[in-house]
Amino acid sequence: MNEKHEDRLMRDAGRLTTRISPERDLWPDIATAIAEQGGSRRTPMLAQAAAVILLVAASSGVTYLAVNGDQPPAEFVPSNLIFKQANFGGQYQLGPDYQDARSHLVSRLDRALARLSPDARAGVENNLQVIRDAINDINGALEQEPDNALLQDLLLSTYHQELRVMRNVGGLTHRVMSRNDI
Amino acid sequence: MAALLAVEPADYSPAMASAKQQATTDEATLIARAKHSDARAFESLYRAHVDRVYGLCLRMTGNVSEAEDCTQEAFIQVWNKLARFRGDSSFATWIHRIAVNAVLGRMRKSRREQDRIQLATGASTSPASIGDTANLRDLSDAIDRLPRGARHVFVLYAVYGYSHEEAGNMLGIATGTSKAQLHRARRLLAQQLKQEGFDV
Repeated sequence: MNEKHEDRLMRDAGRLTTRISPERDLWPDIATAIAEQGGSRRTPMLAQAAAVILLVAASSGVTYLAVNGDQPPAEFVPSNLIFKQANFGGQYQLGPDYQDARSHLVSRLDRALARLSPDARAGVENNLQVIRDAINDINGALEQEPDNALLQDLLLSTYHQELRVMRNVGGLTHRVMSRNDI
Repeated sequence: MAALLAVEPADYSPAMASAKQQATTDEATLIARAKHSDARAFESLYRAHVDRVYGLCLRMTGNVSEAEDCTQEAFIQVWNKLARFRGDSSFATWIHRIAVNAVLGRMRKSRREQDRIQLATGASTSPASIGDTANLRDLSDAIDRLPRGARHVFVLYAVYGYSHEEAGNMLGIATGTSKAQLHRARRLLAQQLKQEGFDV
């Protein structure tokens, strides 16, 4: 093939169709796949949003809830169960997405805890237990008074405390917790 | 992208430039929304780009079913990686890179490539029957029968207008290898077309 023919070959190749429509609509399968993956993709963003929600409302009652010595020791409440029981009232719509985001943080916390010494891990778990007991108690109160703003603030403040403990363990929430614009 | 620029209408006007700018802005908005998990915005991006992505996948695989799978895989990857898109290249080019990776990944995973070549030899599902004008269909068929490496380079360089450097980056090969594969593709195409009685 001489140079002239090579040029023609390349010219013809450049004229070939580059846009070809699929014979069937491929979008439904793609939509299904990304919907199934949606939760994992959104986790970091939702985790940040969740932390923002917590920080906005966190203003009072933290100490009272974190060190509530009057309450008898309670059984350890799994973190996911807390959210199944939660009643956040009309003002705060913390739905399944928030739970997913928090579950993601909790799973990372578990890995961070595994790297601690037994004593340190026990200390952290005790602190978390106190906080989660408080969350459980407030949820119980909110079931009776779902629109009680003080209880809502207390609940969110307590979640703030829980995230603070997580941050202290592994820097998990350091980035979102250190934001000073909220 | 010389080949693509070459097909732009001769009467390319400021009004068209403005429309193009508007389209780019709209696309940026859609990308921003899709980054925030707006599936409807992502569907709009899909609709805007699917023909070029599917076309590339079909040219590279030469098989409708494989091309459909690669296209779907590519857009799922785009969705998952969208947060990393920073606009260093055009969105279309970025998607193309992902599509090329989807094709290569699929071919690495399966050993069906040889089967594909055998099927394509006598199959009626070649890309040529889909959009090319009649006088280009023989060339398209010939491209489809090229060995994988030569075909991929030829499609990216000669059909889609990427440079050797861009094609090499997409395919994970050196620029020199891309040039060598193009030379090989030209030679094989000439042989094929000559055997079929064309004046080359």
